[in-house]
Amino acid sequence: MTDPIEQGIARGWRITDASTLSGDQTVESDVVVVGTGAGGGTTAEILAEAGLRVVLVEEGRLYHQPDFRMDEHEAYASLYQEGMSRMTADGSIAILQGRCVGGSTTVNWTSSFRTPEPTLNHWQQGFGLEDLSPQALAPWFDSREQRHSVAPWRIPPNTNNDVLRRGCEALDYAWGVIPRNVKSCWNLGYCGVGCPTNAKQGTLLTCIPGALNHRATLYHGLRAERLVMQQDHISHLQASALASDGLTPNGATVTLRARHFVVAASALGTPALLLRSQLPDPFEQVGKRTFLHPVNACVARMPETVAPYYGAPQSVYCDTFNFRDGVTGPAGYKLEVPPLHPALAAAVVPGHGRKQYTSLKQLPHMQALIALLRDGFHPDSPGGTVHLRDDGSPVLDYPLTDYLWRGLREAYLTMAELQFAAGARAVQPIHMDARWYTRWRDAREAIRALPMQVHRTRLFTAHQMGGCAMGSKPENSVTNSFGEHHHAANLSIHDASLFPTSIGANPQLTVYALAARNSEKLAMKLAMLVS
Amino acid sequence: MNRRGFLKLGLGGTLVLGAAGLGVHLGGYNNAPAGKPEGQAARVPDHDFQFLSRQDIVLFQALLPALLAGALPASPEPYQRSMDNTLIRIDQGISAFSPANRQQLRKLFDLLNLAPGRIALAGIWRDWSTVSQEQAHAFLQRWHDSHFGLLNSGYIALSKLTNVAFYGAREHWPASGYPGPPAWAVSALPQFHNRRNRHD
Repeated sequence: MTDPIEQGIARGWRITDASTLSGDQTVESDVVVVGTGAGGGTTAEILAEAGLRVVLVEEGRLYHQPDFRMDEHEAYASLYQEGMSRMTADGSIAILQGRCVGGSTTVNWTSSFRTPEPTLNHWQQGFGLEDLSPQALAPWFDSREQRHSVAPWRIPPNTNNDVLRRGCEALDYAWGVIPRNVKSCWNLGYCGVGCPTNAKQGTLLTCIPGALNHRATLYHGLRAERLVMQQDHISHLQASALASDGLTPNGATVTLRARHFVVAASALGTPALLLRSQLPDPFEQVGKRTFLHPVNACVARMPETVAPYYGAPQSVYCDTFNFRDGVTGPAGYKLEVPPLHPALAAAVVPGHGRKQYTSLKQLPHMQALIALLRDGFHPDSPGGTVHLRDDGSPVLDYPLTDYLWRGLREAYLTMAELQFAAGARAVQPIHMDARWYTRWRDAREAIRALPMQVHRTRLFTAHQMGGCAMGSKPENSVTNSFGEHHHAANLSIHDASLFPTSIGANPQLTVYALAARNSEKLAMKLAMLVS
Repeated sequence: MNRRGFLKLGLGGTLVLGAAGLGVHLGGYNNAPAGKPEGQAARVPDHDFQFLSRQDIVLFQALLPALLAGALPASPEPYQRSMDNTLIRIDQGISAFSPANRQQLRKLFDLLNLAPGRIALAGIWRDWSTVSQEQAHAFLQRWHDSHFGLLNSGYIALSKLTNVAFYGAREHWPASGYPGPPAWAVSALPQFHNRRNRHD
């Protein structure tokens, strides 16, 4: 038995699968942490190590190595929000988001960037977050990089990523090697369906075991329904147990009482919990300014075998266009590469019948680039709004603006040019009205004429941010710079929903660092309250 | 698919939807999950359907040959097996969706199953059971090319569900040339050998 989760369970970790609960129960602790992803996992470990009694509440279920069998269908149904069917309200952007113990850190592609300095400077100037300077955050990035074994990828990139490097070399764009949070990685390429080798150092294999080793309790399959406020304090969290299908409430409820509550349920889940709880929100800030790094994509047909399903999925990036026109100029974008397994490729490349088959049967030669738009830095990019559906679940209304459409068209052009420069035989922007183009100038002409409209332009997001922004003024924020709620004295928010804008990089390391910083302060505060 | 998308369709669409809603009560239309179907005229795979109704199955049996043209095996037995497995995987995929998204798909399938929606929005004049592959393809192409975002999103829902169900299935990996997880890794990893029960 080598799986650390199995070993921990054998040693008596306190883990409750809520689907086994019947009847109602009440749990008392020092701190309740909602969510087990980058924010919740980090928080739980630091508070438990400080000697506090921590209870973790996770809506998804516990999956670990025995369950990670490199199977897309299994993984999408069990590890992702809404069985991989989550999308924005008008259906225009597919939302890839984890829903399991470890949250998105269990299914992400391991890219671990520090928050770009221009972003932190923008936050200092625009949102009164003076204490989040690059210098002040550096030690937190250092410690989190150590905790999650973050290091630039040392093995040569797979061909899929190498095409981005080659294109950049040919066009004289700067590129870099991506830091990844892995330990003894086998370079297989299945990060997105749950790491089969326990190499990925997401919270599932770092902070969650750390917290459980310090007597924390983990409930999984337990949905946080609402926080109940009495005067200026949260008195308890009301939660309902889900059946083993992970969807249907089984009738049992859990009342969680604690001195402090930390919510880290994601940029959709955290605002939704606050909205369901009807907590004070005098300036109606909860769920506003939600950002996605909207992603568009371009596929190429390469003469050589790419095998885009094998090897570390992301190892090369290009930031040439990210802050090129200034922080607040036209929409910048980061260029990366996605892995392409057959179900994902079939979902991304739009179409049906022979046309679709002709594209997909050449999957071994297919290469893909993605552009992640830096949203939220310009008045014409105000982000989206989280609403509650009738059943209380969150749905994100995210209008695409002309500002974003311009950035997306630019990104199509950049991606196609890079792919041709790297030797592509043909290139197809992922758009309903595009086809395969065999010459750069044909592609360029076609992209300039593509209708930039919802549905026709295929869009994705793997980074959900904002909706409970931190800031110095309650008029435009929900918490202060330490994630402390402006109106409820014992409530903190420790996840990506704190971001006042998107960040222009994959967000996991930023969330780890902010959650660690906020949790150290919270641990001291709670210790002082005791003594 | 989403509610706002349907509302955006405008008056004509709303009328059709109203008629479709009426049909549920008047026509004895049954959109309950098919469960484990038996004794039916149409050939139905041996599976306990959790979401797809009997009429949804007929609908997809008409659409799959067009959605997967070129990719489905040519000889009759493997063809039928592929069709059946794809139907089953569509049902399994939808069963893991959120209740809200399942409800949106229910509306889409109801719209296509009932005559008013089928005729007015899909342009299909006869029952799906009699629709040829060419007619199904023409319908899909109309929704693909339409200027109505609603119809585009309907097209995307139908094609995406089918593409993921088909190309993601182990038995169809050869269709995309995907060799599957590396054999050396599979033989080295414990989860592929002693598959014990989960202990949570």
